[in-house]
Amino acid sequence: MATFRLVVRRLLFLIFVIWAASTITFFIPRLSSRSAIRERFAQLARTGGFAPADLEKIIANMQHQFGLDQPLMQQYGEYLWNVVHLDFGYSLNKYPSTVLDLISQALPWSIGLIFVTTILSFIIGNLLGAIAAWPKAPRWMRTVATPFVLLTGVPPVLMGVLLLFFIGFKLKLLPLGGAYSIGIVPNWSWEFALDMGMHQILPALALILGSVGGWVLSMRGMGVTIQGEDYVNFAEHKGLGGLTIFRDYYLRNALLPQVTGFALALGTLVTSAIVVEGIFGLPGIGTVLQLAIQSNDFPVIYGIVLFITITVATLMVALEFVYPLLDPRIRKN
Amino acid sequence: MVKLKFLAGVLLAAAAALAPVAVYADDAAATAAPAEIAPKTPLPDLPRNKQLILGWSIASPIGVTNPWAVPGYTHQEGNNLMFEPLQYYAIFASKYIPWLAQSCEYTSKDFTSLEIKLNPKAKWSDGTPVTADDVVYTFEGQMKNDKLPYHADFVQYVDTVTAKDKETVEVKFKIPAPRFKFEVLTLKFDTGIPIVQKAWEEKQKDVNAAAGGVDIPHSGPYDLVAWNANQKIYNLREDWWAIKAGLRKDPAVKRVVIVNLGGQVGQNMDTVAQRLVNNEMDSSLDMRAQVIGNILAQNPKITSWTGNKSPFGYRDWWPNSLWMNTTIAPYNDVRVRKAMSLSINRDQINDVLYDGAKVATIYPFPLYPALQKFADSPAVKAEEAKYNPGEFDLDKSAKLMTDAGFTKNGDGLWEKDGKTVNATINGFEGIHSDIAPVLVEMLRNGGFDAAVNFGTDAQQNMNDGVPGLYMFGHGASLLDPDAALELFDGKYSTPNGSAAGAGRWSRYKNPEYDKLLDEMAPLGADDPKFQADAAAALGIYWRDVIDIPIIQWLHRIPYNNTYWTNWPSDTNVADGENGAFWAHTGMIEITSLKPSGAK
Repeated sequence: MATFRLVVRRLLFLIFVIWAASTITFFIPRLSSRSAIRERFAQLARTGGFAPADLEKIIANMQHQFGLDQPLMQQYGEYLWNVVHLDFGYSLNKYPSTVLDLISQALPWSIGLIFVTTILSFIIGNLLGAIAAWPKAPRWMRTVATPFVLLTGVPPVLMGVLLLFFIGFKLKLLPLGGAYSIGIVPNWSWEFALDMGMHQILPALALILGSVGGWVLSMRGMGVTIQGEDYVNFAEHKGLGGLTIFRDYYLRNALLPQVTGFALALGTLVTSAIVVEGIFGLPGIGTVLQLAIQSNDFPVIYGIVLFITITVATLMVALEFVYPLLDPRIRKN
Repeated sequence: MVKLKFLAGVLLAAAAALAPVAVYADDAAATAAPAEIAPKTPLPDLPRNKQLILGWSIASPIGVTNPWAVPGYTHQEGNNLMFEPLQYYAIFASKYIPWLAQSCEYTSKDFTSLEIKLNPKAKWSDGTPVTADDVVYTFEGQMKNDKLPYHADFVQYVDTVTAKDKETVEVKFKIPAPRFKFEVLTLKFDTGIPIVQKAWEEKQKDVNAAAGGVDIPHSGPYDLVAWNANQKIYNLREDWWAIKAGLRKDPAVKRVVIVNLGGQVGQNMDTVAQRLVNNEMDSSLDMRAQVIGNILAQNPKITSWTGNKSPFGYRDWWPNSLWMNTTIAPYNDVRVRKAMSLSINRDQINDVLYDGAKVATIYPFPLYPALQKFADSPAVKAEEAKYNPGEFDLDKSAKLMTDAGFTKNGDGLWEKDGKTVNATINGFEGIHSDIAPVLVEMLRNGGFDAAVNFGTDAQQNMNDGVPGLYMFGHGASLLDPDAALELFDGKYSTPNGSAAGAGRWSRYKNPEYDKLLDEMAPLGADDPKFQADAAAALGIYWRDVIDIPIIQWLHRIPYNNTYWTNWPSDTNVADGENGAFWAHTGMIEITSLKPSGAK
C-alpha cells in the first residue's frame, strides 16, 4: 500500500511539473510583442524581396487562421487540451509543417549525438574518476583522467571550432560538418552507417572532451569519501578480490549521487545541442529550437521545451524507483 | 518488492519510449507537409562532375514546392529550378528573356491592356501543355486569394483576365499599369510570379496549405527527388520543354544538391568557408568581405563576380540605409536626421570596407544601367547639388544639432532634456557585421549615442518603430526609381502603436511627395514628366532625409571552378542574369554551367 501511495504521489508530482512547464512555456513567448508570422514575412523580405503591399492584411488572415486573435485564456485552454493529446499544431514559421513533423525530423540527430555523448561522458568520466580515487589502481591508470580534468570547462563551442579547424580543415581527417556525406540518400547499409558515424565523431568529441572532467572530479570526490567506510574495510578484511570490492562496494556506493546528476545533466542538453549542432551544421532539436526562438515560433518552442521537460521529468521520477534497485538501504526504508 | 521492481521497469520503459512515441502520436490536424521526401527507387550514382553542390541554410518546411503555399514557400531553396515565369529579366544585359510567353506586350498606349502569347512548346512535367487557362488561373488566383503576395497588386490594377485562345491571354487593367508587366509578370532577382498549373491547384482543398511535394506538375528543368533535414536533391528532367523549344541546350548539371548549412551560417560562417576551400561545395550563400577574401586566397580555383579582386561582388538590388521612425522625437526633427547623415563619411566606408571601390551610396535604388542613366540626368544632378546628400561635415552636423536645441554632455554626446540621441543600429549579424561597427564609430564621433543591436528583437524593433536606427535595404527598383520612391508613399505610413510593413519603417507622410508619386504612377519611365517628377521626389527624399542611404548592397558569392566553370562575372555577363543561384534567375545560371573536366 505504501508503495502504491508513493507511486501515485510521484505520478501526481510528474503531472504537476508538466503542467507548470506547459504554462510557463505558453506565457513567456507571449510576453514578447514579436509575431512569428510577421517575422517570417520579414525574413522573406530580407532574403527574397517578398514585400506585399497589403502585408498587414495577410498577417491578420494568418493570425486568424492560427487562432492567435482569440482571447489569451481561450488560447491557453485550447493549448492545454492539445498538450494532453500531444498535439502542438502547426509551426507558424514553417507552415504547413506541424511541430511534431519538425521534432520527428530533428530528433534522431539529437538522440544520436547528444544522448549518446552524454551517456559516454558519464561512463568514461565515472570510471576514470573512480580509478583516480582507488588507491590500489596502478599509478599510470590514475593519471589517465588528468587531461580530461584540464579540459573541464572548455565550452563546446571552442572545442568544436578547434576540432574543425585542425582535424577537419587542416588535416582533412574528418568531415567539416553535416550529418552525412553530401548527396548520399540515407539507407540501411553499413557503408552509410560508417559514413554517418564519421560525421558524428567531431561533434561527439566536442561534447565529450569538455564534460568528462566534471564526472571525473565528482566521482573522484565520492570515491575518496567512501575509501574510509567500514563496509570497504570489512570487505578487504574478508579477503575479497580487488575487482569485486571496486565494483560491488566502492563503485556501486559512489555511483548513486552520480545517477541523480546524470538525470539532471539531461536537462542541460538543450544548450549543448544548440551550440554543437550549429557549429557542425547538424539539423537536430537544438537547431530547430534556435530557429524557433529567433522567429518567436511559439508552437515549436512549446513543443520542444515540453518534449524535453516531459522526458527529463519522467526520467527523474523513474530514477526514484530505480534507486532501491541500486541501494538495498533505500529498499529497506 | 516485486511490485516495486515491476513499476520501476514500467516507468523506465515509458521514459525511454516517450520520445519516439510522442513524435508519432496521433495528430488531429494532419499536415500536408511530409516529414521527409525519399526517392522511390535508389538514385543512380553520378560522378561529381555532373553534380552541382550548393550551400544554403534551408528554412522552408520540407515538402513545400507549391508556389501558393504561404508563408512556407520560397523560390530561393531550389524551387526556382521547378517553376518558370512568362519571362525573365536579365539585369546586366538590360533585356527581357521570353520564356513561357513568346511575347508579353502592352496593347494600348496608356498601359491599360496587355497581351500574352504563350510558347506553344511549353509543357508541364506531366506532359500536358502550358495553356492560357493556366495563366488565367494563376492571375485570378492572385486576385481572389488574399494570402498570396501579389494579391494587392492584382486587385489594384487588374480588371479582367481572358483566355482568347489556348495560347493567348488578354489582361485589361482598371487603371494605367505601366510597371505591372515588369514588376509582377517578370521574374528577376526575387520578385514576380511563376505560372502554376490549374489542373493541380484547383484540386487542392486549401492551396495555401498544399505542400506540393514531388507530385506538383512544374515546367522547370529539375525534379525534386529527395529532401530531408540535411539536403535537397534535384535531378535534371531530360524531357524539359525548353531544350526542345531551343531556348536552352541540354544542361551539363544533371543533379543539383542543396546542402542545408543549418546553424553554420552567421557567426559560424568560417566553417562554410572551410568547406568551400576543401571543394566540398561549388558555391554558397554570399559572404562578408573579409571571409570571401580569405577563401579566394586559400583556393585559387574559387573566384567571385570580380574575379579575385575587391570588392568581389556584384551590385544587388538592395541598397542599405539607416532608417528611423520619422514620427517620433528626436527623429521627427529633420535637422537631427541631417546631422546624423553629415556624420557618415562615405569615402572612409569605401576605403575601410571595400578597398576603395565605390560602394557607399546616396541613392535608395541600385545603380543598374537604366537607374544610372536616371541618376546622371541633369534634373537629378541639380537636386543632388542642392541637398548634397553624401556630404560629410562634422561642423555642419554640430551646428544643426545646436540649432535643434542639443548640447554636448560630458561623454561628448548630444543631449536634450537629459536624453542622448539613441542611434543604436538594429541589424542582422549575418549580413551587417562588417558595416555596422564602422557606422557606430562614425555616429559616435558625431556625438550620437550609437551601438549595435544584432539581437533577435532587431526585426521587431523596426516593425514597432522604437527609438534607434534600422539597417535594412530597399528591395524595390530595378528599371526605374518608382518602386523605391513609392516605399515612402504616405499611404504606407502606419501610426505609432501599429506595426510598419517591410520597407516602410520611416512612416514618412508628405502630401507634396505623394502628389508627385500619383502623377508618376500612370506614366512610362521614359516619359519626360515621369523623369521630372521622379527627380523632384528624389530631391524631397534627400531634403527630408527620409532615411540615410549608406551602401549599395553587394552579393559576394564564391564560385568554385574545380568542377564547374562559366560562372557569371563582370567579364562573363553571359545571359545577363545576376549571379545568385537562389534568385529567380538562378535556373539560367545553373543550366549555363560547363564542366571543368575534373573528375
